[in-house]
Amino acid sequence: MWKVTVKGLLARKLRLALTGLAIVLGVTFVTGTLVLTDTLNRTFDSLVGSAYQHINFQIRGDSPFSSTTAALSRSGDRKPVPESTAAAVRRVPGVAYADGSVEGYAQFVADGNAVGNSGSALGFSYDPNRQLSSVRLVEGRAPTTADDVVMDKATATKDHFRVGDHVRVLLGSSSPKTFTISGIVTFGSDDNLAGATLAGFDLATAEHLFNSHGYYDTIDVLAKPGADNVELQRSIAKVLPPGVQVVSGQTVANELSSAVSDALSFLSTALLVFALISLFVGAFTIFNTFSITVGQRTRELALLRIVGASRRQVFRSVLVEAAVLGLTASAIGLGLGVLAALGLKALLGAFGVTLPPASLVFEARTAVVAIAVGVGVTVISAIGPARRAVRIAPVAALVDRREDEGEVSMRRRIRTGNIVGLAGIAALVAGLTSSAIALVGTGAVAMFIGAGTLTPVVARPMSGVLGRPLAKLLGTPGRLGRENSMRSPRRTAQTAAALMVGLALVSAFAVLGASLSKSAKSEVDNAIRAAYIVTGPNSGFSKTVAPAVSRIPGVGVVSTAYKGPFELRGEQYSLVGVTTAGLPQTVNLAITAGYGAPALAAGRLLVDTTTASAMHLSVGSVVPVTFAQTGTSMIRVGGIFKANPLIGSYVVGAGYFLAHFNNPLPIVVLVSTRPGAGNVGRAINSYLNVYPNVGVKTRAQFEQSQQSSINQELGLVYVLLALAIVVALIGIVNTLMLSVFERTHELGLLRAVGMKRRQVREMIRSEAVIIALFGAVIGVIIGTALGVAFAVSLKQQGITEIAIPVASLAGFVVLAALLGLVAASWPARRAAKLDVLAAIAVE
Amino acid sequence: MRSSRIDLDRHEPGNTVSQLDQSFSTPAAHAVDLKKTYGTGDAAVRALDGVNVEFDRGRFTAVMGPSGSGKSTLMHCMAGLDTPTSGRAFVGDQEIERLDDAGLTDLRRDQIGFVFQSFNLVTTLTAGENITLPLDLAGVKVDQAWFDYLVGALGIADRLSHRPSEMSGGQQQRVACARALIRRPDLIFADEPTGNLDSNASAELLAFLRDAVIEHRQSIVMVTHDPRGAAYADRVVFLADGKVVGELASPTADSVVEQMMKLGG
Repeated sequence: MWKVTVKGLLARKLRLALTGLAIVLGVTFVTGTLVLTDTLNRTFDSLVGSAYQHINFQIRGDSPFSSTTAALSRSGDRKPVPESTAAAVRRVPGVAYADGSVEGYAQFVADGNAVGNSGSALGFSYDPNRQLSSVRLVEGRAPTTADDVVMDKATATKDHFRVGDHVRVLLGSSSPKTFTISGIVTFGSDDNLAGATLAGFDLATAEHLFNSHGYYDTIDVLAKPGADNVELQRSIAKVLPPGVQVVSGQTVANELSSAVSDALSFLSTALLVFALISLFVGAFTIFNTFSITVGQRTRELALLRIVGASRRQVFRSVLVEAAVLGLTASAIGLGLGVLAALGLKALLGAFGVTLPPASLVFEARTAVVAIAVGVGVTVISAIGPARRAVRIAPVAALVDRREDEGEVSMRRRIRTGNIVGLAGIAALVAGLTSSAIALVGTGAVAMFIGAGTLTPVVARPMSGVLGRPLAKLLGTPGRLGRENSMRSPRRTAQTAAALMVGLALVSAFAVLGASLSKSAKSEVDNAIRAAYIVTGPNSGFSKTVAPAVSRIPGVGVVSTAYKGPFELRGEQYSLVGVTTAGLPQTVNLAITAGYGAPALAAGRLLVDTTTASAMHLSVGSVVPVTFAQTGTSMIRVGGIFKANPLIGSYVVGAGYFLAHFNNPLPIVVLVSTRPGAGNVGRAINSYLNVYPNVGVKTRAQFEQSQQSSINQELGLVYVLLALAIVVALIGIVNTLMLSVFERTHELGLLRAVGMKRRQVREMIRSEAVIIALFGAVIGVIIGTALGVAFAVSLKQQGITEIAIPVASLAGFVVLAALLGLVAASWPARRAAKLDVLAAIAVE
Repeated sequence: MRSSRIDLDRHEPGNTVSQLDQSFSTPAAHAVDLKKTYGTGDAAVRALDGVNVEFDRGRFTAVMGPSGSGKSTLMHCMAGLDTPTSGRAFVGDQEIERLDDAGLTDLRRDQIGFVFQSFNLVTTLTAGENITLPLDLAGVKVDQAWFDYLVGALGIADRLSHRPSEMSGGQQQRVACARALIRRPDLIFADEPTGNLDSNASAELLAFLRDAVIEHRQSIVMVTHDPRGAAYADRVVFLADGKVVGELASPTADSVVEQMMKLGG
């Protein structure tokens, strides 16, 4: 039996290659994702390791938050350490060095543009003590005056800066300042810190720039050789003021590592989801191919039964074929996955997610997972066809009868499809309402399988309808293509099902994106009254902007908003602080209970309607809140406003906010204009020229930028889903090739009675277009429903409007038809080139 | 291979058409020193070894010969389905080697009709659609009177909306005949058209083909190894080992068998 299986595999090389390709692509994606995230993890781990390898201890403020999710953010959630602590620690016996440091936002400007992105522009106090810092001076000298800055080598190389050059630096608490480059530094042996730019100042300047007078963010401690670290840590702890802790360098490194891998696990999960989607689509293709070939091999399999093969042997031979195919494809996918890791990185880079350069990490786990997934998907997909193979009666070898689906099995199909599909929908809805992602995924898979099971029922009439215009347009070839697509509804449906899944997801995201986009517009319309919106980096921009803007003639009210983490009833949330004077002229809070601006001015908390009902808060409720800098206090709810994601869920007045955060930076400045004012926007804009990282937008421009960032994310999703579509197209190519082989006789006959090669191609293409359209139409319908369901379930998260992008959806259908044409090109050529004589001579 | 089962009671097709059509300047098809070799070196097989033959217009010619005699190869080469190794083949005065694939396709569609032994019909099309297929492919309007005449004469008028799977073998071959005739081609090639039919269905089909020759001056070349079938023809050309080895005018089943014995013996 083994020999028969192997021979069978070899005899169907081409088909197997095509089927295998579907698996190869999925496994490639899985491998690429794993390799990429492992590589990133390793990179960050080694960076973190080298950053803390020198120091034995770090002294830092306690984190008052019970959940320290913000380990990656710069010192924002910890209290600063008083300067005097350093001196006290230095006096502890066994301490060799104890140097304080501060860090903050400092971004270089090159040729009028900000270098890199604001989230990775690290300003820090340069510690000349080589024992304590991984930052190495490779050229020039350390910063010693308030004019000096050291620059990372990567920026210096890229933007052609040299020691002695002047460079403008964007800062948080002041307007941009010009410094002289005193030296060039590296981080360990790297030219920058995992892609982040480095701007080092001397300690006093850094404290001044980062508004940290008399305080350090951390103090790094190096023990004397031979000191007992456990004992030393205890001794240091004794001299620390309250609210300050000492931890080992290893602890800090571990915290950072795990924070990095948490952040990366989101990325890897997201990518893996798309990889699994491609594999799922690939499963349809495998199922279909095996179904068709079991049908085509009916005689052969029956003959095997006649000569004594048991049912189990037949079953096993089909599964072994699948396993061998899966294994081969997985092995190839594994190899290609390494290349894909580079591609994925480039892809994410193209969509603005920059990742540090590093050599690739290939863990044994990657190989195990990739092969297990590839083989698993292939074998599971082949189980159905294998069972059908087992049901072939030995007598089938003697009578030539095409397997046809009877009334009974059709009815069973409808029942099964309905049960699976409805269960899937139920799971999906349940998952969406309780926001259980796993349930949503399982539900979607079941729904697609259910839909895939049901599609053969509608395949014949739908292909007929979809093919009618083609038959009209192309005449006989079109009509024959239409007939061919109708002759085996199950084959057509199963082939189309793969495309259906792909297009359903694309459509769902399109609906979601359009709804998000429309919601964003209405959010802006509802929340913002200001004529101009000044925005900068997410981490905030200079505090000098708002006062300067308010002095521009024609400007009415200027409202400044801040944002920061806080805890409410032990859970961490984001708090918005906003200046209250004239607030109604810039922001529409849509108060539903209590007061707006007056309550904010009085130091009260405003919450949105969603939060109020979820947390059972009403006007007058008093709740405990915790801040990193000031600890826990009570605050009274002063008003409730209509939920708007643009505003956030928790709002306080700027006075309250500034009292509880250390030196926060504005994240947005809203500007209203006086009646009859001139072109205030132009004036603001020209003022903002000195801040390359800050810009002004009109309300319409702001809406547009919100929408374009949504579209960019949507674009990334489309690209990731494209692979699933490609896999589905491979399925169409595969089915058509099989059909062409199967219809050799008929093609020969058609050619003999005068069908031109062009007409043969048209016929095959018509069939492909009909299959593609069939999959696309059903996919778009399901996807639209799915997208609406997603959007509705995300109402709390800010999707207030449902939009169905009809033009996009219609575009997908047209695109699918075109892709069908592409998929048909090879089978069509093959069919057209068929040797007429050989075709009709086959007996 | 010889048919040992000869039905002597069969009527003997007359030589009623032999006097017709002498006025035509060129035969419906002819071959000049046609050679076809398959394979190379020691394994080379000479399927056609210099065949010179003419198929007259308006006549029913049968090509006979044992298996491997080259009769199917001859038909394929003359119909533009296969290309000869050397020599020339003409349909009318059109030399078919000069045609590219598109030209050959046009030739087959417009000037030649085919009836094969089996797999004659496109399974997804109805009988009616199968009949008009060459016209539809060419984008030519159906001559409705001719269509009606053909389906009437073949007795398939009530089967037009049926698919091949719903018809008997005999009905399918009659549909194939109607398709071959619908364009009034210069020549019909029939390759063992009755090979899969029982004797009644065979007789009906052959009688129809002969009538088409008599009544509509249709030219037909039929490859067969059934002497009884060959007896419907006006003339039988005998092939052996890739050569024309004899011919017989106004054959009867007996005379065909006799000739075959002579050649084969």
